[in-house]
Amino acid sequence: MTSALPQHAYALYAIFALGALGLYCLLPRTERARTIPGIVIGSSALIGLLLFLGIRIASPTSASVYFCIFSALAILGGVRVITHPKPVYSAVYFVLVVVAVAAMLILLQAEFLAAALIIIYAGAILVTYVFVIMLAQQSGRPTYDRRAREPFAAVLAGFILMAAVAGQVSTLPGSQDATSRSARMASDESLPAAADESADPLKGSNTAGMGVLLMTKYVIALEIAGLLLLISMVGAIALSKKRAASERIEEEARPIGQIGKEVKPF
Amino acid sequence: MTGVGEYVVVGAILFALGLVGFLSRRNLIVMFLSTELMFQGVVVNVVAFSRLHEHVDGQAFALFLLAIAAVEAGLALGLLVLLYRIRGTLDADAWSTMSG
Amino acid sequence: MSIETLKLCAILIALAPLGGAILVGALGRPALRGRSHWLSILGVAVAFVCSLIVFGVVRGAHGEQTSAMISVYDWIASGSGSWFKVEFLIDPLAAIMLVTVTGISLLVVIYSRDYMRDHGEPVRGYERFFAYLALFVFSMCMLVQGGNFLLLYLGWEAVGLCSYLLIGFYYQRPAAAAAAKKAFIVNRVGDFGFGLGILLIYITFRTLDYGRVFQMVEAGVTASGDPLETGRLTAISLLLLCGACGKSAQLPLHVWLPDAMEGPSPVSALIHAATMVTAGVYMVARCGVMFTGSPTAMAVVAVLGAVTALFAATIAVTQTDMKRILAYSTISQLGYMFLGLGVYAAGSAIFHLFTHAFFKALLFLAAGSVMHAMGGIIDIRRFSGLRKILPWTFFTFVLGAIALAGVPLTSGFFSKDEIIHHAFTHHWALGLIGLLTAVLTAFYTFRMVFVAFFGTERVPEGVHPHESGRWMLVPLFLLGIGAVFAGYFGFPGHNFQHFLEPVFHDTFVARSPVPHGAEPAGFWAQYGLMFVSGALALLAILVAYALYVRQPWIPDTIRSSAGRLYTTLLHKYYADEAYDASVVKPLRTGGKVCVGLDDYVVDGLIFVVTAIPRGLAYVLRVLQQGAIQSYAMAMAIGFAVIMWVVLLSTGGCG
Repeated sequence: MTSALPQHAYALYAIFALGALGLYCLLPRTERARTIPGIVIGSSALIGLLLFLGIRIASPTSASVYFCIFSALAILGGVRVITHPKPVYSAVYFVLVVVAVAAMLILLQAEFLAAALIIIYAGAILVTYVFVIMLAQQSGRPTYDRRAREPFAAVLAGFILMAAVAGQVSTLPGSQDATSRSARMASDESLPAAADESADPLKGSNTAGMGVLLMTKYVIALEIAGLLLLISMVGAIALSKKRAASERIEEEARPIGQIGKEVKPF
Repeated sequence: MTGVGEYVVVGAILFALGLVGFLSRRNLIVMFLSTELMFQGVVVNVVAFSRLHEHVDGQAFALFLLAIAAVEAGLALGLLVLLYRIRGTLDADAWSTMSG
Repeated sequence: MSIETLKLCAILIALAPLGGAILVGALGRPALRGRSHWLSILGVAVAFVCSLIVFGVVRGAHGEQTSAMISVYDWIASGSGSWFKVEFLIDPLAAIMLVTVTGISLLVVIYSRDYMRDHGEPVRGYERFFAYLALFVFSMCMLVQGGNFLLLYLGWEAVGLCSYLLIGFYYQRPAAAAAAKKAFIVNRVGDFGFGLGILLIYITFRTLDYGRVFQMVEAGVTASGDPLETGRLTAISLLLLCGACGKSAQLPLHVWLPDAMEGPSPVSALIHAATMVTAGVYMVARCGVMFTGSPTAMAVVAVLGAVTALFAATIAVTQTDMKRILAYSTISQLGYMFLGLGVYAAGSAIFHLFTHAFFKALLFLAAGSVMHAMGGIIDIRRFSGLRKILPWTFFTFVLGAIALAGVPLTSGFFSKDEIIHHAFTHHWALGLIGLLTAVLTAFYTFRMVFVAFFGTERVPEGVHPHESGRWMLVPLFLLGIGAVFAGYFGFPGHNFQHFLEPVFHDTFVARSPVPHGAEPAGFWAQYGLMFVSGALALLAILVAYALYVRQPWIPDTIRSSAGRLYTTLLHKYYADEAYDASVVKPLRTGGKVCVGLDDYVVDGLIFVVTAIPRGLAYVLRVLQQGAIQSYAMAMAIGFAVIMWVVLLSTGGCG
């Protein structure tokens, strides 16, 4: 398995480099747009990635086809989120990503999580985002939306991260190994109790198993998460309560260059 | 059946996209959207490993991630509104000075 | 009198003026103000009384007991287990010097009480002045009675410091500040040689104690027992002489003294008569055993003294500033003293120092009185006929003038004549120079007297002349008495010489190539010179009278006909100009070069050094622009790279 690493890794490097180049072309900029080459390069990278994944998936099933479709959707959506010059469209594309991810979660048999993702993200967080986008609407198309800062360095950071991952992908169990996992586990006699215990929640309802886990093993974490949400709510209220103060600040707001000049030393 | 490696790759790609967006976009809202994108990548990753190890713990983590994302969105967006009121812009570079 | 009394007196002589100085300095401004003079007068008076007691003790002593070394306390460990002590050497020479110094100083301090007042009100810095005066007296006493070369050097430098402080007393006046600096710097040149001389003494004899050093010199050995080469002795003597030249304003280093009259007149009197310029003469007399050990050094001393005497006297003829004339006459008289020392007549030199102290102090104080009356103006061309306006000042001034001119039967006549006499016995040229100088002295002294005090009554505009107060006149009279009669200590039977005999017999008298006792015994041989010089002095005075009172147009004619010579003399042989061209200008040029080096090379180097971090900062500043995204970018790239490297090097997580 490790012998296959180099070829896989190099293929992935190439695909990621191509994707990074495409992304670089697609990031918003004020000078001459490179949309067309960006689309070409980016889509070729995506196709390459899908081909790579397809090769890895030795026996295509409906699930793997769905996986390919949803992963493509998620990646496309993600690209659009960060490349679209208008925040509203970014938010909408983000919904697409959330839906695609939720679909992938269903493929991973995490139905509860998929539902929670849709409800929390698409239902709550995204709505908040859209509200804020509407509140903080700038007239026209501000330059800071039309021009990315240091796109090359940013893309380079992303590429290096992906390259770091790429070398490790082939060490992970692919579909070939996972095909008959339950069979292998059944034949594995060394850890029957542990296998039983860990498999137990998944044998029944996924949601029920998670509920048990949250209320037993992670109950403190759950409480802390709830507390965190409460604090967040209080904080958000406190921030918005400061509207009067912020208006006063707005009145006194001056060009940056003048700030501090009138301050008398002691 | 699809293996965990593919999910990890997709999750990593989402994470990297989020990173690139966070670093390169100047609009504060889009920056935070990018962090949400990174959350999505992490969620996919965590659930994929949960599948691999036949554990529900990963999914529990994912749930906590959602909670964190909600908290972050609430506070961050409140802050954004406040900042926007002060400076009248969503440009992150408007806050590059310590004063004000 | 026991040795304890002597010790107490010696300590008091030093401590009383010092205590006065410290107290006045500490209390003067806040508490004493216009009464500051009392403490200084008290301190100096105590020193004077103690000096008289010391003098009496020494005079009453017999034979070998005339000198005593009084050890007070250990001062500095010299490294080899021995100590430099604070010790006082009391012998006839020191006793005479002490009486002269403290006596003259006492009168000067008393005189200053009125002089340093403007219409009855103390001038600014009144208390400072008296503190400095007392400190000056302390320094000079330490110099005179110190028992080793280190104390001599201490007093030497302290005197220089005090002269600097006092000459620059009116430090708001640029001229005074410059004169003070000049005095200090010129003295420093001399002191450098003096310091080297003392170091050479220490290297040669491994001690600075007078007694042991002189013993070894007399025995002709060094500390290690080797025979002492004459060359080394000559070197030591000439180096010491270098210091003496500075302090006593001898020829190459005389330039500071005429300018020193920028200080208040009492300071001039103090410097010229008692406390400063006599230090060089005293030192040469004290170290006589060294100088006489080297014929070369003695010849240098004699020639130097003679040349200086003539040189300064010629300059004094043309000067118009009363105090400046007196300053050049001091240089000239100091030249006499050195001439006396150089011809092995140390007793005569000290005698002349003694008498000169009286009449020069008197002249300066009287000139100060004139200056006081003329509202600070001292140029003799600006006033005349003051005889009627300032009768007492005139009277005392004339007393001083006849003494300085060497009119027969005054003090200057006796002392100067002795020196000329010894000079003749040594070498006729030296004697001739002495005689010529005596004539010039009489001439310029009375030129001053006639121009200032005779003729039509004329004072500078806006000045309402008034005779000085009692505080000033009493010291003048006392000094006047001294100026006229001090010579009688020396004349009958050589009392003065006899008193100094224990000190100088072995060092000067016995070593003279011309035996002192070998003078012709005839009346004319012994007294002929006296008549000649006395007659010449009177003649010079008559000439001055004729030129400046009877026929005032003659000097102008002479002046215009002897143009170049006159100009040369008026410019003091261009000594200042020569120094300016040979020392000051090159130094200034060097200074400018150094400034240029500093500005361009050193600063340039520093600029380069600072430019490195600045340039680095210029590069790095881009990174610190405050944009959080930049920081995040750097962090992300760094994190990604590290992760990649770690994963590659550990072979992955699988």
